[in-house]
Amino acid sequence: MTLFSLAQKNIQQNLSNYFLYIASMVFSIVIYFTFVTLKYNDEISALTGTSQRVQGLMNASSIILLFFIVIFIAYSNSFFMKKRKKEVALYSLLGVRKQKIGLMLFFENLVIGLISLVLGIVIGFFMSKILLTVLVRLMGYEVVANFTFSGQAVLNTVVIFSILFLFTSLQGYRVIYQFKLIDLFHAEKQGEKMPRASIFAAMVGTILVGFGYYTSVTDMFTSSIWRFFTVLGTPLLVIGVTIFGTYLLFHSVSVFVLTALKKATAWSWRGLNLIGVSQLLYRIRGNAKSLSIIAILSATTITAGGGVFGIYYNAESSVRLATPNTFMWKGDTVNLPQKDVVYNEALNVKNLRVDSDFAFFEYTLLKESDYNHLAKLQGLERELHVVDGSAILLDVMYDERFSHDFTGEEFKLANNESFYVEKMYMESVLNFFPAGTVLVVNDQEFAKTTAEDLVMQVVGMKNDLKQQAVSKVIYDQLSPEQQESFSSVPQSYEDSMASVGSLLFVGSFLGLVFLAATGSIIYFKILTEAEEDQAKYAILNKIGVSGKQMVKTIAGQVAVIFGAPLLVGILHSAFALTALSQLFNMDITKPVIIWMLAYTAIYAIYYVFTVRSFYKIVKQGAK
Amino acid sequence: MTPLLKVQNVGKVYGNGANVFTALSNISFEVEKGEFVGVMGPSGAGKSTLLNVLATIDTPTTGDIVIGDSNLAHMKDAGLADFRRDNLGFIFQDYNLLDSLTVRENIVLPLAIAKVPAKEINTRVAHIAGLFGIGDLLDKYPYQISGGQKQRTASSRALVTEPQLIFADEPTGALDSKSATDLLERLSDLNKSQASTIMMVTHDAFAASFCQRILFIQDGQLSKEIHRGTQTRKQFFQEILQVLAGIGGEVNDVI
Repeated sequence: MTLFSLAQKNIQQNLSNYFLYIASMVFSIVIYFTFVTLKYNDEISALTGTSQRVQGLMNASSIILLFFIVIFIAYSNSFFMKKRKKEVALYSLLGVRKQKIGLMLFFENLVIGLISLVLGIVIGFFMSKILLTVLVRLMGYEVVANFTFSGQAVLNTVVIFSILFLFTSLQGYRVIYQFKLIDLFHAEKQGEKMPRASIFAAMVGTILVGFGYYTSVTDMFTSSIWRFFTVLGTPLLVIGVTIFGTYLLFHSVSVFVLTALKKATAWSWRGLNLIGVSQLLYRIRGNAKSLSIIAILSATTITAGGGVFGIYYNAESSVRLATPNTFMWKGDTVNLPQKDVVYNEALNVKNLRVDSDFAFFEYTLLKESDYNHLAKLQGLERELHVVDGSAILLDVMYDERFSHDFTGEEFKLANNESFYVEKMYMESVLNFFPAGTVLVVNDQEFAKTTAEDLVMQVVGMKNDLKQQAVSKVIYDQLSPEQQESFSSVPQSYEDSMASVGSLLFVGSFLGLVFLAATGSIIYFKILTEAEEDQAKYAILNKIGVSGKQMVKTIAGQVAVIFGAPLLVGILHSAFALTALSQLFNMDITKPVIIWMLAYTAIYAIYYVFTVRSFYKIVKQGAK
Repeated sequence: MTPLLKVQNVGKVYGNGANVFTALSNISFEVEKGEFVGVMGPSGAGKSTLLNVLATIDTPTTGDIVIGDSNLAHMKDAGLADFRRDNLGFIFQDYNLLDSLTVRENIVLPLAIAKVPAKEINTRVAHIAGLFGIGDLLDKYPYQISGGQKQRTASSRALVTEPQLIFADEPTGALDSKSATDLLERLSDLNKSQASTIMMVTHDAFAASFCQRILFIQDGQLSKEIHRGTQTRKQFFQEILQVLAGIGGEVNDVI
């Protein structure tokens, strides 16, 4: 029997053992191939290629993606090798040379790699087709996704994964050469020393994470930390500090809490609590590391997804905030189709010019009666009544950090007239472009003010995001000068979708991958432990523990391993997103909460599956 | 007095169709409360299968097993687990201690599962640890103690719930002769002082000589039964050797 056929037979007969390994390989290849296909796809590059930033983002993403795939494959490979150690030991005991065993494992890896590559690329092809359709929709384009098999993508995937497989095969060689026969037979570690809680580590961890949190919520424009480490350095510092602090905290606090729980005999000596706590404590070293990895992965996913989803979610509302009227332009009215039109008005306003030392600003003076009329048409509740000599300011671009608050001050005009600014609102009834900041005065004051008279057309439509055609009809009738002052909701929306959409595309894809990777890492980790724990649960079954009680303790243990990093990840990302929303100056609470709930829900599905598989493995052991 | 354990026509068949193997056939016997019974026989005779079936870890193909007034043959999985918890104690050849728990916690475990209050657990653990001479080891982990100490821990765990019936499967199989003698003496003392009922499977005539009665199994059937009566342990040991020689058992194992 040749070595190759032995390897072949090995795979055929241990198919169930190999299944998980092959599945995880295929999974990685599918994800990578899909991403690469999309990257090389002509239509996608036509859509995103115009922007250098998006290209850069795609490249950066594929590096992050690769990084994850390496971690993931390393994880499943070590899981797989652990299972094989005894088999290898047996060959060695029977007198097969290490070199030959190594060669056999190498062949095996080659066969597995080949199968996974073919499967992965085929599945990946269909996956990318589906994904492309979905994502093009998300970007708001109406193109049909049809694309061809990309040879470049196949080549890229094959090269990358061949290197990876070569690496894992060499890893197999290393395992064989490094271990002595006796170690191979006792692959499962025996009697690991119980860790002790270190107060020092807990304190350092708390300080580090606290510093990270504090820095991320401080105002980045005034904080001395941000000034010292610069806008580029500070986020890196915060990320590094938080990762290290998380690890220390998991390491020390978990030991501390578990030891305390174990010592509280009134609780721990009740049913299987003792088993649950001891099992977690027993593995705490490995756990601390993987729990921190999972927490950081979750935090990254939630932050990236939340941020991107937040921007996407806000794209419409920021368009609406700046453009309350579907269409607006300076000058005369034009012919437009009457379908869906809610109002079509001409407004007489005045253009104010205010000179300051450095520049001049243009403002639009609006009559109180016009304001109230428009507000009613737009469905605004607010009605204004301004007293003589006063004005109300409408400034949608107001930002407390940069803008000057005029409330309670005299607002001086170029012709030395002035208004007392009674109040300021951040919603306007006129589109910011072309009207700018709006001053509302009562009708008598309006008549008295000397300034350039202007006519502005405002049109409101139902279903405004879809009125591209009407937008075009109007645009074509305007003079070139008027065209410059034309603002349109559908056009602004489409423009912002095109830039945010590609961001969303990369963000959501990576989010999906990270989520799958995180879930799968936990799944693998816990199932490895389940295999090691089989004997323990068999003992428990013998001393009279029913299946129901076992499920309960398993569910509890797994819940800790899933729940702790999720909570920490959510907390981390909440702080990161606070900084992000500060940077972009928008309220992303709602989309972030939606995204966090979605993430938790998918995560919960992984949890249920893991508990079920765990119990299945344990039950097999009890037979 | 009604017997504690009543075994009637128990049989166990593995496999199905043409490919069947009969591990046990038509075994019947009774065990009274407070007895120390040994089960002996050559390898493959069905000793361990019998013990597993009696211990509810395996189910018999035919026949009835009655412990107290429960018929185990008609019980469901969950019921069996509860029954094991409340009525049976186990000592295994490979100890079956949980290595993530200390000695104390290993002994606590069955009491915790039975929801005994923590205070009472403490006194009971201290008591049983004293009986087996492991009071000083309670806060050590299994990997820190010797095989003999492990087996005494396992025995403490089996006995701490004061079960009606204790099953021991080759408890001295992995022990050196001194530790083995020590353990057997403690078991036999407990049997006398607390009237615990013990059923022990062994292929070692020396270990068997601590029992009061020995059942011999051959090819899945009960072949012979001997009583110690008033004999000394040494005399009984000789008798066992003779029986084993007669049924072609593993006399070699003894030396």
